[in-house]
Amino acid sequence: MKIVCIVNGERRELEVQPLRRLLDVLREDLGLTGTKEGCGEGECGACAVHIDGRLMNACQVPAFQVHGRKILTVEGLGTRESPDPLQAAFVTAGAVQCGFCTPGLLMASRALLDAKAAPTEAEIRAGLAGNLCRCTGYGRVVEAVRSAAGMRSGREGEDQSHPHGGPDVGSPVPSADDAVQVFMPNTLAEALAVMDHGEAVVMAGGTDLMAAFHAGRPLPDKVLDISRLRELTGIMLSPRRVTLGAAVSYTDLLNSTEVTAHWPALAEAARQVGAPAVQNMGTVGGNLVNASPGADLVPVLAALDGVVVLASTGGERRVPVLDFYKGYRDPDRRPDELVAAVELPRPAAGVRQAFFKAGTRRAQSIARVNLACCARIDTQGRLTDVKLVAGSVGPTIVALRETMAYMEGRRADEGGLDAACRRLASGEVHAIDDVRASADYRRQVLGNLVTKFVKIFV
Amino acid sequence: MKVVGKPLERRDAWDKVTGRTRFLADIPLGEAWYGGVLRSQVARGNLAGIARDAGFDWSQVVVITAADLPGPNTVAMIREDLPLLADGEVSFVGQALALVAAPDRATLAAALAALRPDITPSPAVLSMEEALRGETVIWGEDNVIADYTIAPDDMAAFEAAMATADRIIEGTYRTGYQEHIYLEPQGVVADPRPDGGVEILGSLQCPYYVLNALARGLGLERDRLVVRQSPTGGAFGGKEDYPSVLAMQAAVLALKSGRQVAMLYERHEDIIASTKRHPSRTRHRTAIAEDGSLLAADIDVVLDAGAFTTLSPVVLSRAILHAAGSYNIPLVRIRGRAVATNTPPNGAFRGFGVPQSIFAAERHMDRIARELGVEPLALRRQLVLERGDVLPHGQVLGEGNAAGALVLERAVTLSGYEKRRGELAAANAAAAERGDPVRHGIGVSLVHHGAGFTGDGEDRIATVVRVRGEADGTVTVLCSSVEMGQGAETVLPAIAAEALDLPLEAVRYHQPDTAAVPDSGPTVASRTTMVVGKVLVQACDDLVRRARAHGADARAAWSAQAAAGEALVGEGRYEPDPDIRWDQEHHHGDAYPGYAWMATVVEAAVDTDTLEIHPERVTAVAEIGTAINPVLCVGQVEGGMVQSLAWGYLEEVKLDGGRYLNDRLATYIIPTCLDAPRFEVELAAEPSPRGAYGAKGLGELPMNGGAPALAAAIEHALGIAPDTIPMTPDRLLEQLQARAQEARP
Ligand SMILES: Cc1cc2nc3c(=O)[nH]c(=O)nc-3n(C[C@H](O)[C@H](O)[C@H](O)COP(=O)(O)OP(=O)(O)OC[C@H]3O[C@@H](n4cnc5c(N)ncnc54)[C@H](O)[C@@H]3O)c2cc1C
Ligand code: FES
Ligand code: FES
Repeated sequence: MKIVCIVNGERRELEVQPLRRLLDVLREDLGLTGTKEGCGEGECGACAVHIDGRLMNACQVPAFQVHGRKILTVEGLGTRESPDPLQAAFVTAGAVQCGFCTPGLLMASRALLDAKAAPTEAEIRAGLAGNLCRCTGYGRVVEAVRSAAGMRSGREGEDQSHPHGGPDVGSPVPSADDAVQVFMPNTLAEALAVMDHGEAVVMAGGTDLMAAFHAGRPLPDKVLDISRLRELTGIMLSPRRVTLGAAVSYTDLLNSTEVTAHWPALAEAARQVGAPAVQNMGTVGGNLVNASPGADLVPVLAALDGVVVLASTGGERRVPVLDFYKGYRDPDRRPDELVAAVELPRPAAGVRQAFFKAGTRRAQSIARVNLACCARIDTQGRLTDVKLVAGSVGPTIVALRETMAYMEGRRADEGGLDAACRRLASGEVHAIDDVRASADYRRQVLGNLVTKFVKIFV
Repeated sequence: MKVVGKPLERRDAWDKVTGRTRFLADIPLGEAWYGGVLRSQVARGNLAGIARDAGFDWSQVVVITAADLPGPNTVAMIREDLPLLADGEVSFVGQALALVAAPDRATLAAALAALRPDITPSPAVLSMEEALRGETVIWGEDNVIADYTIAPDDMAAFEAAMATADRIIEGTYRTGYQEHIYLEPQGVVADPRPDGGVEILGSLQCPYYVLNALARGLGLERDRLVVRQSPTGGAFGGKEDYPSVLAMQAAVLALKSGRQVAMLYERHEDIIASTKRHPSRTRHRTAIAEDGSLLAADIDVVLDAGAFTTLSPVVLSRAILHAAGSYNIPLVRIRGRAVATNTPPNGAFRGFGVPQSIFAAERHMDRIARELGVEPLALRRQLVLERGDVLPHGQVLGEGNAAGALVLERAVTLSGYEKRRGELAAANAAAAERGDPVRHGIGVSLVHHGAGFTGDGEDRIATVVRVRGEADGTVTVLCSSVEMGQGAETVLPAIAAEALDLPLEAVRYHQPDTAAVPDSGPTVASRTTMVVGKVLVQACDDLVRRARAHGADARAAWSAQAAAGEALVGEGRYEPDPDIRWDQEHHHGDAYPGYAWMATVVEAAVDTDTLEIHPERVTAVAEIGTAINPVLCVGQVEGGMVQSLAWGYLEEVKLDGGRYLNDRLATYIIPTCLDAPRFEVELAAEPSPRGAYGAKGLGELPMNGGAPALAAAIEHALGIAPDTIPMTPDRLLEQLQARAQEARP
């Protein structure tokens, strides 16, 4: 496939295999070896670059997706003669040891400072949380970023004619020896027509798919790219609901003031997914269809009465998120159906929402237990509209029906309510034992988290 | 001093921040073939043969099994028990069965998939306890790879104290695996030479270890072997022993195929195949007198070596030499054993056995304090080793080697430990009252670390360093100590610059290459700055002496000589110190030339709803002799500390039937920026007479102190005593439940 993109300010026409990782294109085809590979599965950030100004992990970006985009790597950040202030700050503050993580950390730092000129220490740490460094303990790195904050980057005078995108170049041209056929339609109707022919693997952010390919999953023959479909990338608000396009990213959710104001549990879950690069890439639809039992958005979407909108050439079908999973990693989706959106009704006045995640660490973490909750107090001071949906405890999300039923209609200040809920919630799930946590831990923590939610009302 | 002690910029920093540094995988390969390994999927068994799929075209690849090896089928380390390829017997999951080289990655993968090993499984030994029971013997006569004892001079007095003490306080402490996760995975490239030899370029710590392993395993003369180090993206001990394995694999493939062969592990294979920190179990029995004083201690350390020897005996040696901790106990006996199990061999990791044994020692101090009803800090103050005290192995702590009290008091003051201990306890009580789930705790640890090789190890290594005068007036440092992030490329030139009174820019450092640099030993054991640095100073003096023979101005003289094609080379050789006595058999005498000290205070939070731990604030005071470059020193302390803390609560390897379950970065969890604490680090200096400009070793020290201080903080926060690490939420929950059970009538 022939693609066109801008790499470090230079227009490049490249002949690539469509699913070749951007990381390999940069390192092997373009000789830009500053971008490193530390894991190949999105975990370490050594391969982080900017694509149209957003931080992404190049090991998870297929080549076809950068067609028409603008890429910045560490080589384009600055040189010794004309450095980015961050590069100088890393040198001075002692933020470099072995240096293998350094290019990725610099790209993450630059993305952070571009978005916020004077971040707090907590914001710096969150901004760099997707970039593992084994040498420094991060202290000097945080110091370096702090000292470079507010300093002008040398790239500011650069050509900004495509601030949010590369050249306008139409579609990439397929080649005869492409191992994979990629469809990059411009409209939903075209996409559905592709789905109709069956067997195309849908790719949105690619964070799950590219990790699976790296782990050995055979490459598909056909890929349908939905990351640029305007119909799927929007957040649409109406008086009664919000419609989240399937290709909306976590970052899009966090940038929406409506979402953060009215669906705070959703925003909280998005904030706790992965780290910035994963948040920039991963999508709502991907989280739903990938159907990992530990997915963070899924329990929230279920607790908020979300409805999955499935589209095919035959029309639309709506399935409540709670009923969307038939079993372990088995979403209720026909091969010809695309998840187009999720609809969330506007919460009633006074609804309190919460999302709790007990994970393996404070970022880049898969949940051991997660829990989405909502409820409100009615005019008589009783709990109502109680929703408790847990993830990562079983093969699919589970609604804590017994606990919900018990809470419904009770006064929040009823003595012993929290203890009763703790007992019920711990008892009603068939928790699993795996490499991340024991079943006992999952049960106990679930009980504790439900109690934590109950206490909000006291 | 003009250079030493200044916070000068790292010399490799600019290349690293601009992406110009070429790590091994960044170097274009051209025509190279790719090498790969067929690995065992069973922990123990008998390999009858390896069938080759008839459907695959074997003419396009090179395959090597044990029968095809040119040399003695061994990767020589301390012993020669580790075969390069399994021959008949298979001893661990991941063991190499066959090697394949192919022109590209896809063909390599296809070839590996077309090989079918025929292994009949047999009962495996999967834990230290099973190995010690010895019902199934998998190594030697009793599964014991090494068994050492440090005995008190007066054995009768020791036995009497243990038998007649008022009470014995006992504890058992366990530590888990740790994977290095150097960010750059392992890799080497092997090039066959026209003379039948081979050249290796790789990410490694010890060029001459690899050279030795090649000479032995290939049966080749050293003059046909060259080992070069590529810029190394972190190592932490993980590139001390394992590169010998990797280099042997690549070398035999290169020799058989006649082509350049690249063996570049990706992360998953790296985790499966490379060595880890030894899991340990340590028992303490301490005899206490009626007045609460400590009379004697009996300590038993067991390390899980995995299936073969690798470096385990030396790791064990260092572990027991630090097992009594940083305290003065009159009579101490320490036994250590490294036992074999059917798990992948464990190896070197920053700290080299000391983090394990010192974790136990520190936790046991906390237990004694608890049982005696005294403050942990008070007990440490009372027992801390001082100058003139005698260590269990008979070494008298001399000048510059006894900074325990100094660092402890300074860390206590800086952190406000005593005040914070009270404040946090009060805050916890208030939080419990409010129903707030988060508890805080503060804990302290005091640790030391012997720098350089153990005992007469440095005599045997006999470090050589050279310094060559160049025509432009600069000099080049020639030694085999590698830059791997720790700063050798900056610190060694700084020492030379100081010795020669040159600006730092006038000193170059030659990338380690056995064809060009002498053997200054491996880059391990916190020895580079202290030991190699000191020999470097001698080399500089020697250069000046030689130059002065040609003219009064040494620099002008060496320049002129070099310009005339007669470059002058100064040489330094390690000279055994006549005052050092060491009895290897009994582990008795002057074990280390210098001891560095560190006190660590950790404040941590625990969420009692989820049992997640977060170390929030760390105060560390390290006495490391002269800090040649303070910025680099602080970086070492912070980085090592985060590794130590994470080993204590976050990093875990679970096994199932001898197979690692946490074998990718998605499941083997290391700290992110959000998990790391805020630091306050202070350096103290009691210059050591035995190190360059008074320097001591620093690299490993911080790895010792974090985990025990964190465990103490958790004890303070929750009132349970964690004796096993990592302190995972599962473990904390178990302990809390056990306590609740006990509290029930
Ligand atoms: C380092 C890392 C950290 C992560 N951390 C978290 C975390 O903390 N919490 C969490 O929940 N997840 C996490 N993930 C998982 C992942 O990022 C999310 O599940 C993400 O939302 C997937 O979206 P995507 O667009 O990248 O999916 P893709 O990889 O593009 O697709 C995933 C699957 O969904 C299918 N699919 C995607 N969109 C559609 C559609 N519209 N219609 C039909 N099928 C579709 C694809 O065919 C594929 O099977 C992490 C992943 C990585 C690599
Ligand atoms: S290589 Fe680790 S995130 Fe891409
Ligand atoms: S400097 Fe080595 S991993 Fe960050």
